[in-house]
Amino acid sequence: MLSLAWRNLWRHSRRTWLTVGAMIFSNILLVFMITLQIGNYGMMIENSLKAYAGHIQISATGYSDEPKLRLTVDNITELAELLRREIPELSVSMRGETFVMASSEERSFGLQVAGVDVAHEATVSSIPGLLAEGQYLRAGDHPEIVIGSVLARNLKVGVGDEITLLGSGYDGSFAAAVVNVRGIFNSGIAELDRNLAQISFASFQALFAMQEKGHVVIANSSDVYQAASYQQQIQQLLNQQSELGSGAIEVLNWRETNPSLVQAIQSDLVSSIFMYMVLIVLVSFSVLNTQLMSVLERTREFGIMTAIGLRPGQLGKLVVLETTAMAGLGLVIGAFLGLCLTIYLNQVGFVIPGMEEMAARYNLQERLYPSISVFSILVGPSVVFLGCLLAAVYPVIRLQGLQPVAAMRAA
Amino acid sequence: MTAISCKNLCKTFQQGDQTVVGLDHVSIEIDSEEVVCLSGPSGSGKTTLLNAMGGLDTPDSGEIRVGDLRVDLLDKGQRADMRLNEIGFVFQAYNLIPVLTAQENIEFVMQVQGVPAELRHQKSLAILQEVGLEGLEDRRPAELSGGQQQRVAVARAIVSEPTLVLADEPTANLDSTSAIQLIELFLELNRKLGITFVIATHDTRVMSYCRRMITMVDGKIVKDVQQDQAPLAASEHNAISQT
Amino acid sequence: MQNADQIRTNALPPLGTLMTLAWRNLWRNHRRTAIMLAAISVGVWAMIFMSALMRGMVDDMLKRGIDQLPGHVQIHNPQFLDDPSIVHSLPEPDSAMQDALNQAAVSKWFSRVKVPAMISSERESRGVMLLGIDPEAERETILNGVELTQGRFLESAGDRGVVLGEKLVQRLETRLGKRVVITSQDPQNNLAEIGLRVIGIYQAELRSQEEQFLFISKQAAQKLLNIEDQVSEVAVFGDDYRDIARVSQHVTAATESWNSRLPAKVEANPWQTINGFLSSSVTVMDGFVLIWIIVVFIALSFGLANTLVMAVFERVREIGLMLALGMRPALVTWQILLESVFLLLLGLLLGNILAVLSIYALADGIDLSGVAQGFEMVGVGNTLVPQLWIKDLLTANAVVILLGLTTSMLPAWRAANYDPVRALSKAT
Repeated sequence: MLSLAWRNLWRHSRRTWLTVGAMIFSNILLVFMITLQIGNYGMMIENSLKAYAGHIQISATGYSDEPKLRLTVDNITELAELLRREIPELSVSMRGETFVMASSEERSFGLQVAGVDVAHEATVSSIPGLLAEGQYLRAGDHPEIVIGSVLARNLKVGVGDEITLLGSGYDGSFAAAVVNVRGIFNSGIAELDRNLAQISFASFQALFAMQEKGHVVIANSSDVYQAASYQQQIQQLLNQQSELGSGAIEVLNWRETNPSLVQAIQSDLVSSIFMYMVLIVLVSFSVLNTQLMSVLERTREFGIMTAIGLRPGQLGKLVVLETTAMAGLGLVIGAFLGLCLTIYLNQVGFVIPGMEEMAARYNLQERLYPSISVFSILVGPSVVFLGCLLAAVYPVIRLQGLQPVAAMRAA
Repeated sequence: MTAISCKNLCKTFQQGDQTVVGLDHVSIEIDSEEVVCLSGPSGSGKTTLLNAMGGLDTPDSGEIRVGDLRVDLLDKGQRADMRLNEIGFVFQAYNLIPVLTAQENIEFVMQVQGVPAELRHQKSLAILQEVGLEGLEDRRPAELSGGQQQRVAVARAIVSEPTLVLADEPTANLDSTSAIQLIELFLELNRKLGITFVIATHDTRVMSYCRRMITMVDGKIVKDVQQDQAPLAASEHNAISQT
Repeated sequence: MQNADQIRTNALPPLGTLMTLAWRNLWRNHRRTAIMLAAISVGVWAMIFMSALMRGMVDDMLKRGIDQLPGHVQIHNPQFLDDPSIVHSLPEPDSAMQDALNQAAVSKWFSRVKVPAMISSERESRGVMLLGIDPEAERETILNGVELTQGRFLESAGDRGVVLGEKLVQRLETRLGKRVVITSQDPQNNLAEIGLRVIGIYQAELRSQEEQFLFISKQAAQKLLNIEDQVSEVAVFGDDYRDIARVSQHVTAATESWNSRLPAKVEANPWQTINGFLSSSVTVMDGFVLIWIIVVFIALSFGLANTLVMAVFERVREIGLMLALGMRPALVTWQILLESVFLLLLGLLLGNILAVLSIYALADGIDLSGVAQGFEMVGVGNTLVPQLWIKDLLTANAVVILLGLTTSMLPAWRAANYDPVRALSKAT
């Protein structure tokens, strides 16, 4: 039966190729788009998280929503040590964060200053490695600061220049310090480059009268998609160690701390799924047309086949087999060509002209790289395949009502 | 006067690996107002000869004249125009365009010729009457019997007043009565309008009506005879009435 | 050759006959035609509808973006765009400049002070963008974009209150009627501080806006920053952000004559120059719409070619007959093309109707609140109103007709080049 179906397919080879061509076209397009999307999402997530935010954040309950100076994690150093000890595969660092007024000789700006655990910061953040000028912080309490490149420009300061920080401490006291710019980083993420300054954790605790307190523990695993399971592990660990959770502590993964990132991906997904569905519907119409034609033009032949004892169900099976063969051909060729294209693009990357501004808004680099995985290659073509099979339903239904005598008489 | 003259026509076809001889040095002259029957087994070259005469196909070598025209020297477009204006065709089957009514089928040729609408209607109605189909002008081919369809085809073939009608197995799909009616229509039109008919057929019913019978085998003319018992063709009819 | 001269040629193709044939042939296989029509309609609908969604999104983004800039044209100190500091301010327009700005080409204008500042309550501090505005000139524009939920908006030029976003109020743990301290620098980089009472709280559709902008009166700002009669920018609006040529010319000319009276020059820039992201998004969207239309068309074209190839294939004998009867091959081509034109036109008609209806049905907007924060990243609100651009409609129709005919050329041309003898003798 399979060989009959296969041969039937090539009775009208031009028609078959045109139909398969439609599938190949959409499959290549889908593979290209989906691998690119997944690649881009990965890059968005990666770029948004790696510079600063991290995969998992442990902080006082409510801090992620309303980052206030007073919402602290007590004994934060112990907490970080505990995590390093119990879940060694995680990279762990800790931070304190607050807003200050920063003044250089010429300018003043309100900005976010972070006290970072210098020894561990590089394991959770790319900023220590992204210095455009100068050097990164040293551990311990030194009067030095690392700032974003845009901030440096706005403050009109360079490495070695002084900045005055004014803010308030944990106890409500007035906090002021004069620090020297030790390094200037360029993360490529406008918000951080414009807004962020880092000092050492020790300086932060001293300046803002934090004692043993801090705000956030950042934990990164090797794979962002593992964040949820590590989040659970950490949660369990904290439940056992109730003495650490003197204040209520929450463990959040990046999906929870970056809802806008998740939703940006979702909104992009929604609109692209609409577009993919349109493509798939059009291809299915093409298949429907072809299969209906091929059934109608073989009315007589099918009449003879029923006359010699085939049941309509068997004819239906034949048509389904034909459709499957055709759709399978489209799947294999389309996915293969799509794969070739993505492998090539994955090597060289590519630039969408005019998209640079858009890309920057989404924390993307200019050069985009599609992501190759079994899923990203096959998901589009598989849905096309199913859509095409669905298109065979109507022709098959029409076959069920076949009257052999009338069918044989049909010209 | 000579209606068609062919000299040394040769034509071969490729069929798979084999070369098939379609026409083998065929020479023939047909006078105007003759009714000629072209017979022979299938594959003997009847249709090939007919197609060559009508400019549907070009011979490999040789000369064809239809009236004053050297058909073998015309290009594709000119041959199309010749078929449109000088020659009527009647084929075995699928003679009519299925989406057009009987009348529209007859008018089709005139429309392509650019005949004004009013004249087309007049002529097509007149000709439908001529072939005995009055009242059926609005039917589509599928709603007509085989005989009626062939009559429409004949009406279409003669509506543009060609001097020559080429018919290829016109009776092959017809029952006896319709076949005889059709051939009688040919003879009548020949008598009335002086149209030359060349009919390729292996239908003996048709052969018996023709004065001149040419027999072909393997692309050659093997016999070219005048028959006595056949009803008179127009040329002889005229000749007799003139005496 | 004398032979050739004897052959008559037809001056005009018999269009009526061809149309009749094409139209009736189209409906011979009504199922196939219906499927193809459905495919074309869905394709055309998708082209136009999707474009309208995209246009709606970009339009929303632009309107918001431009209202936030604000203005279709802005006048600045030439260094301000690069370094938006209080040092780079400009004087308030003098009376001659005001006259020029009050003319018909300008629908409204206002000047504001805009500086980065820090705001502190007793408990928290935040970096913000301080906007010193003239309530009389700007009140309406601002209240168009945000909703005042508590208290009142600034009322007079010398109002001593501050209006904050709800999110910022939460962050600062303050409330209506409390005092907050705003700190910034004056042009000499002296820290300047002012204590103001929270008189109003607003909600913006984009939550990030609530945290970022706070409004005080222009005079209060000028006093705080020690810049008498100086502002950061003059924002000028025309009638439509898409067509700013007239207002831009007018403002540029007025600015030039103003410059002759000023010690230091100022410059006028259209919004496209000020915000590269916004202006590039229009071009990006143009490209996107075109690519989308073409991609959908290509997906359609396979089916179209298929339908025509089959239509020709089924009618080989008929076409042979027509050729045998003396129809010129070109006319056969035309007949097939006409059939394709009918199919395309019908499909376009249906598709356009569908698209216009669905866009009309969604004229109130599509609720995007589920993914609102995602759209906020590009500056889009949580209601998306599709916008039908005639340009996109025409592009879609033109692409379908032109490329559709191109696709049809091959089957049509093949049909015309059948050998009538072979075509006629083709077995069932």
